Amino acid sequence: MPMQINKGVLGKEFPPFVVTIERGKIKEFARALGDPNPLYLDDRVGQASEWGDIIAPPTFMTTFREAAGDGGDFLRELGTDISRLLHGEQEFELHRPIRPGETFVCRSKVVDVYEKTGRSGPMGFVVRETAVIDRANEIVATIRQVTVVRL
Amino acid sequence: MKYAKVYYEDVKVGDELPPLVKCPIQQIQLTRYAGASGDFNPIHQDDEFARAAGMGGVFAHGMLSMGFVGQLVTDWAGAGQVRKLGVRFGGLVRLKDTITCRGRVLARSSKDDVNLVDLEVWAENEKGDKVVTGKATVALPARD
Repeated sequence: MPMQINKGVLGKEFPPFVVTIERGKIKEFARALGDPNPLYLDDRVGQASEWGDIIAPPTFMTTFREAAGDGGDFLRELGTDISRLLHGEQEFELHRPIRPGETFVCRSKVVDVYEKTGRSGPMGFVVRETAVIDRANEIVATIRQVTVVRL
Repeated sequence: MKYAKVYYEDVKVGDELPPLVKCPIQQIQLTRYAGASGDFNPIHQDDEFARAAGMGGVFAHGMLSMGFVGQLVTDWAGAGQVRKLGVRFGGLVRLKDTITCRGRVLARSSKDDVNLVDLEVWAENEKGDKVVTGKATVALPARD
């Protein structure tokens, strides 16, 4: 394994990708969390709510992935593989709830790359920010993710 | 009562959220979460793979624990009220661990008819080790 990560990925912008929110996916996600909230699971409760439909749980946007790839290309570019990864931090800034049938464009870029030695040895940190943009060109959410690479 | 409405006026700094105790982690939940989230990293599914990676065996997706913390917040503030949720993953969650999520009110502020409440949130295992620590901001309705 390399003793450093490729800092050349700083500033890298990923190709934008489109996601459409599926009703069944929201429910599958809530059930996987063991969260029985009817605003995620019950269409009638959703319709009667101020949102007019069921909405997604606050961490649902973690499902927003490029359908085409498994992220393997980026890991190779970084100089690592999936077995070396840990999730360091995650943040969702949410401007409004999202509902089934909505379509968003996700624009993602690497905003920071650094190395640090912790209790368990040298680690690389990759900070990625994703803007989630709706059809009206409004940002509905900003996602910030810190991935840790065990070096 | 679950899903009771919380009003901004009734919230005080230092208030604690009702704790959320989740069922012990089972492999089947990690498999379901992988399917639901799209995170199929074998480190959460395949014990041999996780051992070979030096992790001492399978552990839960950090995002599963973050989802639990999200539930803590929405059980209290209501689904759709979360404006920000950010966490740091501080420890691994293993099979059979029972995760309890807790939170308390750090600050409240009102501006342009939007009432925001900042929370400190965390998740701990049965030994009391904090596996997730973070902050959340929720928008709460006003009485009247």
